[in-house]
Amino acid sequence: MNVNLLYSYKEWTPVKPYFDWNAMVKDLGLSSLFRAAGNDAVLRTSKAVYAEKEDTYLSFVMKRVSCVPLETKEEVKYRQDVLDDCIRKEEFTGKLYQLATKTLEAWEALGRRRNSTGIRDTKAELITDLQVLRLLVSGVTEVRKLLLSHAEGFRSEGLRSLCRRVEEEFSEEALLRVEKILGDVSFYTDVAVREVKRNVFHSYYPKIVLDCGLTDGLKLSDFRIESMETLEKPYSKPYGIKAKLQGQMNSLAPNVIALYKDQALQEDAAELEFQTVSYVYECCSNLADSLGHFFDQLRFQMGFYLGAINVKYQLQRCRLEYCFPEVGAQDSLSFGELKEMVMSMEQKGKTVGNDGKLDGKGLVIITGANQGGKSTFLRSIGIAQVMMQCGLMVAAKRYKSGLYPNFFTHFTRREDSAMNSGRLDEELRRMHQIVSNVGERSLLLLNESFATTTEKEGSAIAYDIVRALKEQGVRILTVTHLLSFAQRVYEEANTDTAFLSAEHLSDGTRTFKMIPHAPEQTSFGLELYDEVLGSVKNKDDEAGTDVREMP
Amino acid sequence: MFHLLGQESENHEWGGKAERPTFFDDLNLDQIIDRVTKDWGAEVQRLYYVLPEDPGTEAYRREIYGDVKGEKVFQAMMEFRKSIREWRRCMERGEKVEDDLQKRTWHLRETECYAAALETLRDALLSAKTAGQLNSRGMQEFLELLSGFVTEPEYQKHRQETAALWKELSGFHILLTYEKERFTLVEGKGTGKYEGFLEECFPGHGKIFRSPFLASDDFSSLEAEILKQFRKKHKEFFVRLEKYCQMPKPYVHEELLRLFPEMGYYLSFAQFERKMMERGLTFCTPVRSGAMKPSGNGAEKSGREELSAKGLYDLALALVNADEGKEVVPNDALLLDGEDFFVLTGPNQGGKTTYARSLGQLIYFTKMGLDVPAFAATVPYFRKLWTHFSVEESAQTGRGKLMDELVRLKPMMTEGEEGAFIVINELFTTAANYDANVMGKRVLEFFVNHHCKGIYVTHLSELSRACKTVVSLRAGVDEKGKQNYEIQRSEAQEISGANIQVEKYGLTYRQLKERFS
Repeated sequence: MNVNLLYSYKEWTPVKPYFDWNAMVKDLGLSSLFRAAGNDAVLRTSKAVYAEKEDTYLSFVMKRVSCVPLETKEEVKYRQDVLDDCIRKEEFTGKLYQLATKTLEAWEALGRRRNSTGIRDTKAELITDLQVLRLLVSGVTEVRKLLLSHAEGFRSEGLRSLCRRVEEEFSEEALLRVEKILGDVSFYTDVAVREVKRNVFHSYYPKIVLDCGLTDGLKLSDFRIESMETLEKPYSKPYGIKAKLQGQMNSLAPNVIALYKDQALQEDAAELEFQTVSYVYECCSNLADSLGHFFDQLRFQMGFYLGAINVKYQLQRCRLEYCFPEVGAQDSLSFGELKEMVMSMEQKGKTVGNDGKLDGKGLVIITGANQGGKSTFLRSIGIAQVMMQCGLMVAAKRYKSGLYPNFFTHFTRREDSAMNSGRLDEELRRMHQIVSNVGERSLLLLNESFATTTEKEGSAIAYDIVRALKEQGVRILTVTHLLSFAQRVYEEANTDTAFLSAEHLSDGTRTFKMIPHAPEQTSFGLELYDEVLGSVKNKDDEAGTDVREMP
Repeated sequence: MFHLLGQESENHEWGGKAERPTFFDDLNLDQIIDRVTKDWGAEVQRLYYVLPEDPGTEAYRREIYGDVKGEKVFQAMMEFRKSIREWRRCMERGEKVEDDLQKRTWHLRETECYAAALETLRDALLSAKTAGQLNSRGMQEFLELLSGFVTEPEYQKHRQETAALWKELSGFHILLTYEKERFTLVEGKGTGKYEGFLEECFPGHGKIFRSPFLASDDFSSLEAEILKQFRKKHKEFFVRLEKYCQMPKPYVHEELLRLFPEMGYYLSFAQFERKMMERGLTFCTPVRSGAMKPSGNGAEKSGREELSAKGLYDLALALVNADEGKEVVPNDALLLDGEDFFVLTGPNQGGKTTYARSLGQLIYFTKMGLDVPAFAATVPYFRKLWTHFSVEESAQTGRGKLMDELVRLKPMMTEGEEGAFIVINELFTTAANYDANVMGKRVLEFFVNHHCKGIYVTHLSELSRACKTVVSLRAGVDEKGKQNYEIQRSEAQEISGANIQVEKYGLTYRQLKERFS
């Protein structure tokens, strides 16, 4: 039985993750997102109170899930819809997650182990297995009740089909049948003697009828269970006077083999008892496995949505507007009031939102002075893209983009303390790995790549790589200081290339907004030149050096 | 005597005490055959050690192998193998038990098992024949042999009694009620009520109730008690069983058992080939080109004698690579009529030895009448297969390396050298260049004059011009690679060629375009 809340057609499996997830987490600062997901949900309704307790499992789930990109518009919509339901029915979301967690924890306490051979060799293990089955069956009964009580209110396909399937596959009738089987073997698990009345003791006894043949060397074989039940009978001590009498009576009766005081026979009987119960459990084992799997997945998948709710509260707490992003055409990319979520959450300051319309721009080159918000802008797109591609909301008024299952970041690692040549080598090596893995629908974010060598050399390298990748259909957004590179691309004047620059006003104020602008020559000499001789330039030049494409 | 492997002479025995031929190590055939016969035992393995000499045997086997490879025959024979194993197990178990009654029951079971195996195989082969999947002379003769066994009147009579007793024994059923302090015994078959309930709860659960008493073939206390009660009620059956066991007629056909390893020979390779094809390796049935007939003085050629192979690869290397998830590079080989020897030169690590090995393997598997590791192959008949690979200087023989090489060369040039296939890898590396050239040339000429074909891997390029029937091959030079190289140059100057690091990671524009293409 599948949970299928993350995908409409399959359970969660960590296949086809981003190529270098760890680098992306580092470059985009995504660990803040994971931490936000793990913040305890109990406290968040009161205003601006920070969470006290963290559920690290939720962070773990968020990290795992966001690492595998969704690949189609439908997949994204599917998750967004489920998330929308979960947000509306927050209490239900928490309860279902708690229920799964509780069941799994109880299982852990009983001793969860994976028996790969499927053969239980001791009585104790078999008893544990039966107890676990009982636990899971009662767990799923509760899950069923909870889901069905909310079934009316769900709008999403994911939760509605889960309700449907739970109702079908774990029908009341089916659950009752399993409970009957568990009752039939309860003599095996419940061995305690119970006092039903004062001085009246009862205990469970088996009554099993087995059908068997004699073919292989006249040994008993082809066992089949004809009937089996657990009877509650007055308890008699194994070697008490009553048992003795009974034993003697048995040994006189025809067709009866009495076990009284015959140890070898008693051992054989115990063996047979074990194999019988073992066989019955084996029949249930697929159910047990599938229930175990169901609860694992339920906890994981609900963990994602609960984490997402936590992220939503965190966004609200930081006064960040959010929306469900829209999957557009492959080359689309437009957004309004897009903010860098991580920085906003970490620094709790006011962040500047950016608007942009970069549809059809396969290459975006961002230049400008330092401290102008270039990297922040690049990261904000990266974070939004990752969040969108795992079905989350993004910190923007609107966000529309294609999906890029092959998403790479290549950021200069300033913290690397290697020597310059070593750093270039390291950069090139990472680029080499990226190149080996680009495919259909690739997106590459370059942040000051190849700044570790001379401007001239770096520009040449960047130009070659960007050109080849662009021709391969890879969408590239790059923040760069390599002016010869930017200039060279600019001169080629391709319509699918956009140039952005961090705005700084004439009085030197930085607005942290990205505006369309030609590659910026920030040297003083040029500014001076413009100031003195600007009027000499002809008009064509003017148009060429200023805004090429309006967003 | 009938042999599935072909009959070369009266009372011929295949395998026997055969040891690995010397070319096994050189061609890495030991690795391959070890893998092929992994589950088949030493007896089958030894059959791979003997190359048939008669030209007809090769074709005879190929026909049989063609049948065995087919789905129906393969499954039938594998099933038979399984049943025979089961039969042997029953026999062993019957010998081990102490109790007389048990012994007799095992004997009954074992007889039933053998008869069923025999008849199932006969029927399956018959149906394969009707379906047109049994065409070889060998397999048809084998089928006749089986039919003969099955229709013997004595066998039939014995068979009937076996079946009757077996049926009765299988009919015995006991209902055993367990109530903690006692078992109650009733004869009869249950209704399968609870099993039905379980099936209803878990449709198709397919679980098996393991009997707790199967660890030992002897009786447990409980079983002994039960049988004690059971025997009293079925005296007649046990008397009849006793009589049956005293019947003197042996029911096993020695001739069939003798053929068992020979079936294993074909089956083991067919099974291996199936597995390897699943892993993406290619095999094909070689086609025989013009025969080479030895006559009075020397050999005479008749017909076209082309040796050609497409997509030929070293199977041993492919096995190793497949384990590591790598692929092998296949090669083609073509030796036209009138051409005799490949002389293969080229840089180290260029795949020279691998190529020589793959050719040797091609000849070996062709001669054995099996499929070959290639996409397509045409192979003439060779009388023998000789290999000579350079080895480490051996302290055991005490000879120098050159001496050692010559000693090993001697049998190749004196024992049945006519019309053989020769694989020589690096001869005379320790001799001076001039000497090596002269000696190499002589060796080459000797084999060419004796109508041998083969391959000579060497670092002496002069040998490729030793005589006119020699075809020179060179490893490590790829024309396509050359062309690419030229394109590389013209473009390489355009960009920052100075940056070796960029090139090292394959990130120049040209390299990138190549990587994407």
